[in-house]
Amino acid sequence: MAAPTVLRRQLFPLARILSGLSHLKPRSLTVCSGHRRCAVSRFPPPLTPSASFHTATPLSSSAITVTEEPDVLFQKVLVLVKSHDRAVLDSYEFFATTAAQELGITVGKVFEPQKDIERVTLLKSVHIFKNHRVQYEMRTHFRCIELSHITGSTAKVYLEYVQRNLPEGVAMEVTKTAMEKVPDHILKPMWEDLPADDKPSQ
Amino acid sequence: MAASLSSAGTVRVLSTLARSSLLCSSSGSRGLHVTAACCKNRAARTRVGKGEKPLTYEQAFHPHHIGHCKGWLSQHTSNLKGEEGAAERTMEDVFIRKFMFGTFHGSLANEIVLKRRGNMLIVCALMIQKMSPLKFYFLIGYTETLLSHFYKCPVKLEVQTLQDKAVYKYI
Repeated sequence: MAAPTVLRRQLFPLARILSGLSHLKPRSLTVCSGHRRCAVSRFPPPLTPSASFHTATPLSSSAITVTEEPDVLFQKVLVLVKSHDRAVLDSYEFFATTAAQELGITVGKVFEPQKDIERVTLLKSVHIFKNHRVQYEMRTHFRCIELSHITGSTAKVYLEYVQRNLPEGVAMEVTKTAMEKVPDHILKPMWEDLPADDKPSQ
Repeated sequence: MAASLSSAGTVRVLSTLARSSLLCSSSGSRGLHVTAACCKNRAARTRVGKGEKPLTYEQAFHPHHIGHCKGWLSQHTSNLKGEEGAAERTMEDVFIRKFMFGTFHGSLANEIVLKRRGNMLIVCALMIQKMSPLKFYFLIGYTETLLSHFYKCPVKLEVQTLQDKAVYKYI
């Protein structure tokens, strides 16, 4: 039955998050450039619901629901993060992989797809001078973390934790591959059940 | 557009974009194509003087140093590949910078840094201690309330104060 495992797995990671994981916050790099006299290393706010995200209901009221239906099983959960800054992605990858290891989630592979550069060529001057142009580019760096063989409730908890601590300027895309039970009617080939018929021959 | 221009550069680019969009004719056999002028040689660069002009770190480095020794002044995800909403975020940024410049008149030490995290808009500003803290607190609360009503999202202001501007070099 999935219900006791649902209950246990939701309690356990939540307790570990709230107690032991406060040292795992990603250090958001100083991109307020060169303000030398201000406190340079800023840590994201602690994991209280109102600080990082504006939510209407506090975390304690999101009750642990025990349902009769079995939990969804994911073969693969692909977390793709994109940013303009590669260093931010390095730090976030360390945070996400350490969080997954602490929660006991098997991390498949962590790789870096090739960066994408969007270039724009424009005229440098307001009027004429067609031979003098200016080029701008926008670089998007990617990072992909693959988690394998994970249950629906664990995925929900992990993704919520990891998304609440997304740095600014970082976008995330999550692709989940679910596993479903093979329907009963196609488990056995049809020709085994047929009575011994004469072949319909012309 | 490019990662982040300073406010003067952004305003100039936007005004030339507006002019060029008015001139563009949409249909017909002869179209007028006008691209935005970018003044690359002059954007966000202070002209060299005799050594009396103080520059902050932000002003001292030119836009091609963004990503190398400069950071981004406004951080949001709409300029990434496959994300939308860049124009709306840019308009919001321009308005917020003008609003902050006007509200805290004369007491901004450096450019405003805007961060968008989820639904929230975080405005980080460095101020000079020109007014009494009481007046600062009032203005901070006023800015936060007004901006959150304008943009229908929680707006947080993170302010740090200095005695005077942090000078990086003199030009």
